[in-house]
Amino acid sequence: MLQKQEKVLLLRTFQGRTLRIVREHYLRPCVPCNSPLCPQPAACCNDGKLLSTEVTHYMIPDWKVVQDYLEILEFPELKGIIFMQTACQAVQHQRGRRQYNKLRNLLKDARHDCVLFANEFQQHCYLPREKGEAMEKWQTRSIYNAAVWYYHHCQSRMPIVMVTEDQEAIQQYGSETERVFVISFKHYLDNFWPDLKAAHELCDSILQSRRERESESQETHGKEYPEHLPLEVLEAGIKSGRYIQGILNVNKHRAQIEAFVRLQGASSKDSGLVSDILIHGMKARNRSIHGDVVVVELLPKSEWKGRTAALCENDSEDKASGESPSEPMSTGRVVGILQKNWRDYVVTFPSKEEVQSQGKNAQKILVTPWDYRIPKIRISTQQAEALQDFRVVVRIDSWESTSVYPNGHFVRVLGKIGDLEGEIATILVENSISVVPFSEAQMCEMPVNTPENPWKVCPEEERKRKDLRDTHLVFSIDPKGCEDVDDTLSVRTLTNGDLELGVHIADVTHFVAPNSYIDVEARTRATTYYLADRRYDMLPSILSAHLCSLLGGVDRYAVSVMWQLDKTSYEIKKVWYGRTIIRSAYKLSYEVAQELLDGNLSIADDIPEFKDLEEKSREAKLEELVWAIGKLTDIARHIRAKRDQCGALELEGVEVRVQLDDKKNIHDLIPKQPLEVHETVAECMILANHWVAKKIWESFPHQALLRQHPPPHQEFFSELRECAKAKGFIIDTRSNKTLADSLDDANDPSDPVVNRLLRSMATQAMSNALYFSTGSCAEEEFQHYGLALDKYTHFTSPIRRYSDIIVHRLLMAAISKDKKMEIKENLFSNKDLEELCRHINNRNRAAQYSQKQSTELFQCMYFKDKDPETEERCIADGVIYSIRTNGVLVFIPRFGIKGAAYLKNKDGLVISCGPESCSEWKPGSLQRFQNKITSTTTGGKSITFHLFDHITVRISVQALRCHSDTIKLEIVSNQPYMTRNTELSHQSSFLKSELVKEVTRSVEEAQLAQEVQVKVLQEDYQEYCQTKGRSLYMLLEEIRDLALLDVSDNYGI
Amino acid sequence: MAGLELLSDQGYRIDGRRAGELRKIQARMGVFAQADGSAYIEQGNTKALAVVYGPHEIRGSRSRALPDRALVNCQYSSATFSTGERKRRPHGDRKSCEMGLQLRQTFEAAILTKLHPRSQIDIYVQVLQADGGTYAACVNAATLAVMDAGIPMRDFVCACSAGFVDGTALADLSHVEEAAGGPQLALALLPASGQIALLEMDARLHEDHLEQVLEAAAQAARDVHTLLDQVVRQHVQEASILLGD
Repeated sequence: MLQKQEKVLLLRTFQGRTLRIVREHYLRPCVPCNSPLCPQPAACCNDGKLLSTEVTHYMIPDWKVVQDYLEILEFPELKGIIFMQTACQAVQHQRGRRQYNKLRNLLKDARHDCVLFANEFQQHCYLPREKGEAMEKWQTRSIYNAAVWYYHHCQSRMPIVMVTEDQEAIQQYGSETERVFVISFKHYLDNFWPDLKAAHELCDSILQSRRERESESQETHGKEYPEHLPLEVLEAGIKSGRYIQGILNVNKHRAQIEAFVRLQGASSKDSGLVSDILIHGMKARNRSIHGDVVVVELLPKSEWKGRTAALCENDSEDKASGESPSEPMSTGRVVGILQKNWRDYVVTFPSKEEVQSQGKNAQKILVTPWDYRIPKIRISTQQAEALQDFRVVVRIDSWESTSVYPNGHFVRVLGKIGDLEGEIATILVENSISVVPFSEAQMCEMPVNTPENPWKVCPEEERKRKDLRDTHLVFSIDPKGCEDVDDTLSVRTLTNGDLELGVHIADVTHFVAPNSYIDVEARTRATTYYLADRRYDMLPSILSAHLCSLLGGVDRYAVSVMWQLDKTSYEIKKVWYGRTIIRSAYKLSYEVAQELLDGNLSIADDIPEFKDLEEKSREAKLEELVWAIGKLTDIARHIRAKRDQCGALELEGVEVRVQLDDKKNIHDLIPKQPLEVHETVAECMILANHWVAKKIWESFPHQALLRQHPPPHQEFFSELRECAKAKGFIIDTRSNKTLADSLDDANDPSDPVVNRLLRSMATQAMSNALYFSTGSCAEEEFQHYGLALDKYTHFTSPIRRYSDIIVHRLLMAAISKDKKMEIKENLFSNKDLEELCRHINNRNRAAQYSQKQSTELFQCMYFKDKDPETEERCIADGVIYSIRTNGVLVFIPRFGIKGAAYLKNKDGLVISCGPESCSEWKPGSLQRFQNKITSTTTGGKSITFHLFDHITVRISVQALRCHSDTIKLEIVSNQPYMTRNTELSHQSSFLKSELVKEVTRSVEEAQLAQEVQVKVLQEDYQEYCQTKGRSLYMLLEEIRDLALLDVSDNYGI
Repeated sequence: MAGLELLSDQGYRIDGRRAGELRKIQARMGVFAQADGSAYIEQGNTKALAVVYGPHEIRGSRSRALPDRALVNCQYSSATFSTGERKRRPHGDRKSCEMGLQLRQTFEAAILTKLHPRSQIDIYVQVLQADGGTYAACVNAATLAVMDAGIPMRDFVCACSAGFVDGTALADLSHVEEAAGGPQLALALLPASGQIALLEMDARLHEDHLEQVLEAAAQAARDVHTLLDQVVRQHVQEASILLGD
């Protein structure tokens, strides 16, 4: 069947000799053509994705077109694209791994209508390269030949357009075969897609940047940067320990000067370095960009520098001379980049005045990225003026050693600066979140659930599943108004007197088949994204809010974990996992459940399920429910106590929880007193997660997805210890148990904020909890530090986390392991799973960042229209939680804002506070001590700020054109802000009602930011109670996720 | 140039084969009249020549003779022009010696040595062109040669290599695939009984995947067996025509 051919290659060896290599090349009669028009689809084995039937022509790009215009070919509007193997190989060989992977992903992506045709392995398409024929010519010839074959293969039913940049080819082949057209790319866009403006713009921009690069490479300037070392040298250097490999992390607050290289894996152990390596200045950074994997050479000790401890603003070049930096740390310079991590960047064009100052060369424009950590990018465009007020996406093309800035090109416009939609789009792009609506193909896979044709339990499933509808009292406890209920609980007494506790989780995997379109989409999204005012779901709402949601009174599929417990000691005797059908009897809210638990039975009137019942049956049922809740709480207490003995961290203490929520919503909406029911539900979920983790690990020791929370580095705790010492507390950070205990003790009765701050510092010192594949980690590393469990995973929220879907599949495979093999085939191998974990972790981080950034955006919008001088609410009480050489860091409990306040301004004047609580800038000096900072004016007056002092600050917004706005704090007085800080609770409700009034007044001005703000506050709750006003357990998880979030930013302040 | 993609997303290998497909095999028996048995095989671009003498009396020191079975003596050599860069020594280096030992082990398991006590069987294999899978080509060539010599064997010995790339087992590796440095397994199989005459692998491979790779190699070896069987039958047919039966 195969036909053998020989290819002779002449290769040049490293020593410079030519080597003659003969390679075999096998041709076959049938290669999948992936066209729906194929006359013999069986012979062609068209099993992958097919081209759509609705196209007017097939488009075949030449190798050069694929190389240069791949970004345009990525437009989903362009349909019916056939990539020839010859072209793909040209990309692989000449454009490198990154570009090639992009092409591969494009081909894999079900949303893009494009296929690969392996023309070089097809008997009739393959053309041997002739003697003396140039590679480029041969490639074009092969592609044309394949195009003609393809045309005939489809029985001439579909015209084919080959797009090439080679003028000769257009002439030569243009009219050779009827209905196989050969035209240039520009021509193609003009003729076939005249309306696709974005593609035209992108095409122009690519053309221009290419032309410039060509002209530039001819004129060589003096070099700005040293050349990177070749890859072999780098690899050898890393092995020998001469160089160190790591990820470049630019300091957000001093992007021009400081960057750190965080060591990766093994190299940190070998070199004995504990801390990161400082890269000082752009020159030493040598063209690497934030996030790149770089290779660093350490400088001699005499050239080591310290990191700056002073506060500084970003735009000013580090002028704060005379500041003595902290003690020197290991410093290095970048000698090479192993992996570039370039992505799309959001930038702003300079305003008109700035353009003029940039000189005559108006075609090349320096644009400023939104992210401080990215250097300015030079792009060439003629649209600079038109795009002035917009946020724009650009891509970096190259960074030559001769150029100070990288070269890039313009991709697309996002929206106006300052406009809410534009800014949100910016946040999404910066976090690489893509949120297109679910496509039709994906929705087609969804089960039908219309009023005429409601979804029903199918009898076949009914047979396979354990039916708990009549035997178990199942109920859910969620926030009020919650729509997507992933988890329900049950408890009952067995005939032998033992108890049976059940956790029932929505069976999402039943609806989401592995590798279906919806599965692939969910995998790419990895999680549901929550922004301050909106949400981007991982699964379509038909699943998340209906079929998978375990609502009351309807039959639903579930995956259950049930434990048999001893009736008195609550020891776990047996555990059962499996698929079930349940009907949740009650959908309770936390408040109602707590009331029932407390014995307040009158609340039962609020439960809709009881409304239509007669008195008698109602009482019986109520009693049953109350017993179940009580029993659950009892069991949860017991489990919790056991976990506490092992040192479970009580970071989820009241304060942190409120504070974290403060961070997200300016106003606290979660009840101030956490209810015990919260903890009960959380504990049950933790228990379920823990047992599922154990089960899947036992069944799949090398390919189970678990979640680890590594113990934190002790050095990160130093700040916490110092701070606590200032107040006279001693924090013992040796283990999670001691930490938890000492944090409990560190409570200042006069000032509750202190404990809150200490806890939040402890949280920040923690490492991130991460998903990982068990095959890639030693068993000792599986542990979850915060929960004090040896194995842990995520199982209970498959509706909003992809990791849970994987865990569900693993569990299903584990319990049916011996019965069915085909389920096992759908599981990921260790390597794939590791890759996937990395992706999910990465997406989770993006979700957190975007959430945080969007909240900051709203905070700024809220304060933006207020005049800080007159508006009363812009003045607030703050607590100092860290001291720097020229200022202090302040936490404002009322708004949950953390920020820097300066004691010395740019002109070198220091602050001095008058008696009538107003501050002025006067000449003077600052003196910093361990726990306090003193500002002395030349007049001899001095004021001192201590750690944990309450001060009064004024909040204002610093509007920035190129970046997001920031909140600015100014110290008004060193006295606490008297009127408000006494009664926090009263005040927040006061403020809320005040805000509501404001909204009603300004309804007409729909665009006003504060209106959005307030609406958020209310809608937020309704919409988010889905999952955001959620159980304590999820919050708890989020605290862990957020743990390290700020640490990387904290180098600056 | 980016690293080679040994297995594309569409499931093609560099030379256009799919994961389980063999290279083209061509073989002939009885290429030399002088030797007792001889064969020539081409597996893709790997070409090997095998010559068998014996069974005959022990040459050299008599003390080497085994009282109960025949001594199998294998010598492997590789032509200086067989690889891309010219080799210095055709035989006698460590690699050749090792290969000789492996061949000896393989054939001691396959030849019914008990039938010829105190005698010697010589198998000389020469690789003319090496393009991956030299061990397999040598074993296959030697099998045919031993048969040509009319030495009784338990079964064919069919050998094939297999590798492992991105979770898929590849059968019959070519030189490019071998040079990429992944795990590589060589298997000599007695196809009728399914017994393994020799199994060798010197790279690291996770235990979980071993079965998969082994199965791929075994399947490939069975495929080789079908081909060799055809060659033998054709040869016998030709010979019988010559004899005028």
